[in-house]
Amino acid sequence: MTYFFTWAGLMICLAATLASSYVPMGAWNSATNMAISVAKALLIALFFMHLRHAGALLRIAAITGLLWLALLFGISWTDFGTRSISHAPWSAP
Amino acid sequence: MTVTNYLTEGFTLRSWLTTRDHKRIAILYAVAITAFFFLGGAAASLMRLELVTPQGDLVSAETYNKLFTIHGVIMVWFFLIPSIPSVLGNFLVPLMIGARDMAFPRLNLTSWYLFVLGGLFTVAALIAGGVDTGWTFYVPYSTAYSQTNVILVLVGVFIAGFSSILTGLNIIVTVHKLRAPGLTWFRLPLFIWASYATSLILLLATPVLAMTLALVALERFFHVGIFDPAFGGDPLLFQHLFWFYSHPAVYIMVLPAMGVASEIIPCFARRPVFGYRFMAYAILGIASIGFLVWGHHMFVSGQSMYAGMVFSMLSFLVAIPSAIKVFNWTATLYKGSIVFSAPMLYALGFVGLFMIGGMTGLFLAALALDVHLTDTYFVIAHFHYIMVGGSVMAYLGAIHFWWPKISGRMYPEMLGRIAAITVFFGFNLTFFPQYLLGWLGMPRRYHEYPPEFQLLNLFSSAGAAVLAIGYVLPLVYLTWSLLRGARAPANPWHATGLEWQTTSPPPQHNFEREPHVTQGPYAYDPVR
Amino acid sequence: MPTTPFDSTLERREADLLGMWAFLATEVVFFGPLFFGYVHGRLVQPQAFVEGSHHMHIVLGTLNTAILMTSSLTMALGVRAAQKGARVRIWLALTALFGLAFLGIKATEWVLELPDAASASGGEARFYFLYYAMTGLHAIHLTLGVALVAWLWLHAKRYSSAYHAPVEVMGLYWHFVDIVWVFLYPMFYLLERYNA
Repeated sequence: MTYFFTWAGLMICLAATLASSYVPMGAWNSATNMAISVAKALLIALFFMHLRHAGALLRIAAITGLLWLALLFGISWTDFGTRSISHAPWSAP
Repeated sequence: MTVTNYLTEGFTLRSWLTTRDHKRIAILYAVAITAFFFLGGAAASLMRLELVTPQGDLVSAETYNKLFTIHGVIMVWFFLIPSIPSVLGNFLVPLMIGARDMAFPRLNLTSWYLFVLGGLFTVAALIAGGVDTGWTFYVPYSTAYSQTNVILVLVGVFIAGFSSILTGLNIIVTVHKLRAPGLTWFRLPLFIWASYATSLILLLATPVLAMTLALVALERFFHVGIFDPAFGGDPLLFQHLFWFYSHPAVYIMVLPAMGVASEIIPCFARRPVFGYRFMAYAILGIASIGFLVWGHHMFVSGQSMYAGMVFSMLSFLVAIPSAIKVFNWTATLYKGSIVFSAPMLYALGFVGLFMIGGMTGLFLAALALDVHLTDTYFVIAHFHYIMVGGSVMAYLGAIHFWWPKISGRMYPEMLGRIAAITVFFGFNLTFFPQYLLGWLGMPRRYHEYPPEFQLLNLFSSAGAAVLAIGYVLPLVYLTWSLLRGARAPANPWHATGLEWQTTSPPPQHNFEREPHVTQGPYAYDPVR
Repeated sequence: MPTTPFDSTLERREADLLGMWAFLATEVVFFGPLFFGYVHGRLVQPQAFVEGSHHMHIVLGTLNTAILMTSSLTMALGVRAAQKGARVRIWLALTALFGLAFLGIKATEWVLELPDAASASGGEARFYFLYYAMTGLHAIHLTLGVALVAWLWLHAKRYSSAYHAPVEVMGLYWHFVDIVWVFLYPMFYLLERYNA
């Protein structure tokens, strides 16, 4: 029965993400949608994919891909996020 | 006595091409990568021949571009990356952990077929006229301006990438799930630690490369994509993505070599490895920190100075675990009973040349120095010291060390030593002058140069000829040994390790009885 | 001499699960560069991306999301049935059918949006490129998933409470494909909807 509750949770999240997009919140819309997507992903991973009952090894395997993307995005940000304030002398303005 | 081994289990071509035996698959890989090595080497030979004279008189500039491109593509993706993991990793990992095979034998064979398919696409690109973008495929040249067979090569590398990924996956699951009873993590040989860490990199880096190359192909084909500034894109997006893979890729090439050194040196010094735990942690450290430094390939690309500083600092950091390993190999030799066998010569050569190459990496990690040295022959010398002086020597050392186990034959020791010394000498003659050339300002990827650089280029090309001899020698005497070499005993080197506890060559399922491990690795008695 | 490297079905199942999770980690990183390109575009040319998003078919997209999440439910129920040794075929069939429905709707959207995409320029063209590339890659994975579920349906008799790892492993893959869509949906359909 947990599966049906999980499915219900997913549907509620879907309704929430759709509804909230019609409310003008500026940058908070994206943040809200991201958060809801993460919630859906957690529901799917923990319940449908059985991560809730899985051992440490599987959980580490599950999180590693995301961690690595975070590295890619985060360290690349040191470039893209600082171009305007510390650009190289030889690059175009 | 009718004892069969994995080589005599079936003599037909079909039995080889449909095998699930990790040992046979390793040999399939060995044959394929040897062919690629000589193809990539032929390209290099033509380049070195051209560079004997300052004028661009042997080949046109366009052809030269195609030569260094195909040399890089083949040597990186079709020789170095698969070399130790797919040949020696496949052969040794199950044996070293006391298993009957890898976790997913059919997937293993599929990996080989993917590798060959990728190689065929790449050779097709070569036959169709070659590619001139450099192995780095920088945009916008690769997406918009090159008139060569870029997409064909990209497809080839993409497919070969999946071969890498699946091999890495196989190794990781095998090491986690198939260790013999009593074989805890800190009793594993360092070659296993190295293979495991390498496989983590294979898994987490290669998919990024695959998608990035796919994006280049799509942008080239559809004339719209994420890199073109006309659509708001940024060419540096490509460089970040490309180097996010390609820097860890160099650790894919060197970590297994380090694993090999850690097997050979204790054996021929008759001493356990110094600082085993530090060696294991250093391997993991190299694999993880290696993911954080990619921007040091982009210091002059236009990335922000802040990013440059961050990457420079991280790049200095990654040298630390490597240095620890060099100290520990050296310390392993202390008070040892050293035998200068062919594998030992290769392994010692590896340590010394890796050290020189690694130290010059520190020069390049320094932002200010890199402005002067980037895109010069200094960089070429740096990475060849590590990849050729390091990885290739380790690969050859490994082939010699485990040759008795793999083939059941002994190779001629004197010829082995001569070949090792020839390679060492030829290598240094080829690449040391290139440090000087780079320092003096000779840029890379040029088929002509100012006349004052000719002497150093002559030395380099002469060295390449010697190096070639050194590489051909083993091909000859190893083949000879298959027919006429002395039969090898189970443990000709009196080495520790589970692979030596079974016959040479091993039976198809590796062990007559499942081994039970009761002690740590490298239990060498220096008195013997 | 046993011919598989494993000593028991239990050992084999553990290896299969670890293998699939490790593979899914590679898939996450595989999609990475596309997300990278998207985030860059979203930050650097937000108006163009918003404009592109307004051309998406919100009803079809939302319906598809609901369909795919429901297919995850049927897949999970199929895995549970396999674990218990109960009938799996009905669940596998439903999962595949939902998957096909998703693909059908997606293909319709692609065809409907093609004229806009072909005539777009600048940042909007980049949005459409990413849209087709990411939903396309997702669809390739989903198609493969449907094919594999169909294959499992054909061989359903092999699975029992003692041996059902392939079904479990299929489930993991299917849920992953669902999770990817869960992120793609707001990225492409829900940018400044209040202004659409």
